[in-house]
Amino acid sequence: MKSFEYLVAENLEAAIESYGDNNVMLKAGGIDLLDLMKERIETPDSVLSIDQLDDLRYIREEDDGVHIGALTTLAKLGESDLLKQHYAVLHESAANTATPQVRQRATLAGNLCQRPRCWYYRNREFDCLKNHGDRCYVRDGENEHHAIFGGAPCHILHPSNVAPALVALDAVLIVESHGAEPKRIRAAEFFVLPRQAMFTENVLEAGQVITGIILPEKPRASATIELREKQSFDWPICSASVARLEDKWRICLGAVAPIPWLSEPAMAVMEDRDVTEALAKEAGEAAAGEAEPLSDNGYKVDLVKVVTRRALLAAAGKGDH
Amino acid sequence: MSYRDDNRVALENDHPRIEMVEKVTGKARFTTDHYLPEMLWAAYIRCDYGDARITRRHVDRARDVEGVLEVEIDRERGRYHGDRLGHICAESRKALEEAMAALDLRFDVERPKTRIERERTPLDQLDAPDNIEDAEAALEDSDVTVEAEYQTQVQTHCCMEPHGALVDYKGDSARAWGSTQSTFGFRDGLARELDLPSSDVDFNCEHVGGGFGSKFGPGAEGTLAARMSKKFEKPCRVVRNRKEEQLDTGNRPGSLQYMRLGISRQGRIRGGRIATWGSVGPGGGGGGVRNPSRYDFGTIARSHEDVNLNGGPPRAMRAPGHPQALFAIELMMDRMAGEIGMDPLEFRRVNETSDVRKEMFDAGAAMIGWDKRRDGGVDLDNGALRRGYGVGVGDWGNSRGRASVTVNVYRDGTVEALNGAQDIGTGFRTMLGDVVATHIGIGRDQLKVRIGRSEYPFGPASGGSVTSRFVAPRAFMAADKAKKAILDLVAIEWELDDTEGLSIEDGVIRGPDDRQMEWGRACRLLSEERVSFSADDEGEFWKQPTGSDAVQFVEADVDIETGIVYVRRIVALQDVGLPVNRHTVENQITGAVIQGLSFCLFEDRILNRQTGAMVNPNMDMYKIAGPRDVPEITPVIWRSRDDPGVNSLGEPPIVPTCGAIACAVANAIGTQVQSMPLTPRQVLAVIAGKERA
Ligand SMILES: Cc1cc2nc3c(=O)[nH]c(=O)nc-3n(C[C@H](O)[C@H](O)[C@H](O)COP(=O)(O)OP(=O)(O)OC[C@H]3O[C@@H](n4cnc5c(N)ncnc54)[C@H](O)[C@@H]3O)c2cc1C
Repeated sequence: MKSFEYLVAENLEAAIESYGDNNVMLKAGGIDLLDLMKERIETPDSVLSIDQLDDLRYIREEDDGVHIGALTTLAKLGESDLLKQHYAVLHESAANTATPQVRQRATLAGNLCQRPRCWYYRNREFDCLKNHGDRCYVRDGENEHHAIFGGAPCHILHPSNVAPALVALDAVLIVESHGAEPKRIRAAEFFVLPRQAMFTENVLEAGQVITGIILPEKPRASATIELREKQSFDWPICSASVARLEDKWRICLGAVAPIPWLSEPAMAVMEDRDVTEALAKEAGEAAAGEAEPLSDNGYKVDLVKVVTRRALLAAAGKGDH
Repeated sequence: MSYRDDNRVALENDHPRIEMVEKVTGKARFTTDHYLPEMLWAAYIRCDYGDARITRRHVDRARDVEGVLEVEIDRERGRYHGDRLGHICAESRKALEEAMAALDLRFDVERPKTRIERERTPLDQLDAPDNIEDAEAALEDSDVTVEAEYQTQVQTHCCMEPHGALVDYKGDSARAWGSTQSTFGFRDGLARELDLPSSDVDFNCEHVGGGFGSKFGPGAEGTLAARMSKKFEKPCRVVRNRKEEQLDTGNRPGSLQYMRLGISRQGRIRGGRIATWGSVGPGGGGGGVRNPSRYDFGTIARSHEDVNLNGGPPRAMRAPGHPQALFAIELMMDRMAGEIGMDPLEFRRVNETSDVRKEMFDAGAAMIGWDKRRDGGVDLDNGALRRGYGVGVGDWGNSRGRASVTVNVYRDGTVEALNGAQDIGTGFRTMLGDVVATHIGIGRDQLKVRIGRSEYPFGPASGGSVTSRFVAPRAFMAADKAKKAILDLVAIEWELDDTEGLSIEDGVIRGPDDRQMEWGRACRLLSEERVSFSADDEGEFWKQPTGSDAVQFVEADVDIETGIVYVRRIVALQDVGLPVNRHTVENQITGAVIQGLSFCLFEDRILNRQTGAMVNPNMDMYKIAGPRDVPEITPVIWRSRDDPGVNSLGEPPIVPTCGAIACAVANAIGTQVQSMPLTPRQVLAVIAGKERA
């Protein structure tokens, strides 16, 4: 790890003010950032910790929806009765992330901004596109854990399994920066594909800090289904988060694309209809229809069908899994 | 013979590990926990790719980093990712890491060899084994011929404590710490490197966090630490990071196993052809596979080829060559049984070579509920889950070997048991203490166990499951001598003719006429402050060994839509000879089963085919079983013989696991996954193949 200066923000204002300098990186729980620094994928001169800003840890109901502080840990999301009762889609994904130990430290904002787990990007031996190199190793290399949607020219998976739930709920992120009014950005517009921006996975600009998240609407029904190779200590290999807002279904897939993948074809099947076995199956087929698998990740196409169907059935209370 | 449901052990020891409190409070000090004043830090400069030549280096920049003492590149070309090309030595960890980064090597990469299936000599181009005609005759003599090929992947050791050494050279002597499976091997290697007599090297490995076969001798770490300490006359520490652990500490080699076997209608295996290939490093071998083994395969014409790849070379790993062999063998057994419509367990009974295992089949089948097994699996819930059952076997040899134990008795009643061997996490320390305390008849609180130092009596390297087996008879012997000596003194004190009729229990000596004396009081009869009793012979305490037989039964569910395998239960029957301490025995069995499961379902060293670099040299992408992946495991301590000695336990319980799981999965989905690990991708591919067929 490269030596760095460690800054501790006293309050949010001070944090926002000192953030935005060149080569200062924000640290919340620090789980992801430290991994990147150890491998020298990130070599910041300074690290600004916001982890102690307890004002940014809350889950509360307000007039315009449920507000969640950016530093709320995944463990707290998992413990929340409010989320459990009314936002199953988010609750299930947060409660199942990683391990209890990770969830105690991992913050909601840090989870959304964690960098991809692509094994080329994460190992400095590979001068891949995302590492400012000139090639992507995925197409001709080992690609069983890479994207089947929206890939080229860089086939990463978005690593957060909470993000698809927020996209399904049409959540809104509150973003603040020095000398500017707080901005509101829809989760669905927050994440960007590699072809739009290679060196980031979202629209945050220098100096911008996520301070909170709003769930504007209580879904009529919702669920997340995640599949993992290992049941402990692992990221999903495929997930589906579904939510029925007003009458319309929103269906977002995880671990299949460089961003949480809102599946328009599946949503077109469901629209505002009640879930039946047949419809759920059709939605799964539709979701898988637009996939472009690589040499070794075709199994994810099958998994997309399964998770979409199962998530819809689970949301409708008809789930067998 | 019998097993006992409650797993009570012969010596009735049910105590937790002796060092339990030290381990859970962090008081136990491992090699990495030792820091000495003015200590230097050194590490290897490594090749980043499978087959690559250095094209750019900034040695001067690296040397210019403050606190750097030496930067040397000895080799220009590396033949695997992690191959050692040179080293850096510095005054601090920070300087070391900055110098590594400043070096900023660039390489010219050759197309590497990364896939055993591409690089091996194909079957039809191999030289025919000498006895091929006999094997062909056996095949002809058979009613049915069955043919299949199986593949296993490379597994890394993943020791909890990384490989490392700290050496403090002082001119005419040295102190050293190392993470090792061989106190004396490590010490002797350092002595050679430092050009000192072994007796002048004080080596210490009181606590070791796993080795699994990868930590004999001083290794690359001890050698570099010794060289640097001698050169700069300061202590030097070399401890690998997790990535180096994954790249270059050895591994269980991958294998391909082709089998064509003939059987009779009655289920007797007649013989046939077995060809195996093992994936090894760019030079050298070590890829052997123990196929055939355990079952009576009749007349086999066998060949083996080590296949050189540009990957880290293999090293012995817990039962080297065995688990991968049994993966193929057990699946082949099920396949042959299926071919003639015989129950797989019955088929095994017909071809089993061990009577103990035949009895284990019956006991284990009852415990797992083998009668619930259905061909093609059990449909659990009219949904996607299918349940299957599988069985696998193993065993281990129990030869004799060298060791010595000293038992010291102090006038204050303290008893010390000494042996220099290391406890690599197996519970050896506890075994030694329990033998001595129980044989004398005193409580554990009166006993101190001292191990893992070269100044103590000789102990074996922990390889081949020998440590307890070699040491226990000497522990009995030395304890016996100590006990007799004290009883002699008591007999004199009580004016008895001899020690007949004297016994020790719970630290109290009892004699005729209800006479009693506390152990501590008896020890005050000693005229010296301390008396030592040593044993390097086994005497009456060497017992006719068992075969350390093992049988495991598995119940597993497979989600046929997702390909995810959920292992639910494993019953592990294990003959250990004399079980000394229930916890450590059960712990060895359970730990081996978990490691076997992890190998079967998850672990895989993956080399990038373009560059030869390992893509998963860490602990999240190299997947290892976690708590939720661990099923209900029932270890059963089996007794096959009255009055046995302490027999092998470290290795035998890992031998059956992956074969048994693979058979359970095959039973559940009605077709075999012939290639490990059994990931969702593999399982789905096989199910899709079956549906197409
Ligand atoms: C074994 C293991 C398994 C895991 N499994 C899963 C899983 O199943 N699903 C999953 O989603 N994740 C998983 N993770 C990842 C883990 O959830 C994330 O690393 C964690 O959530 C990151 O949160 P953090 O607070 O530690 O972020 P940090 O490491 O502190 O930050 C991560 C990134 O976010 C940026 N950042 C942090 N806070 C803000 C903010 N307020 N505004 C703007 N930028 C910010 C940082 O600058 C940094 O770039 C796993 C991790 C491990 C170790």
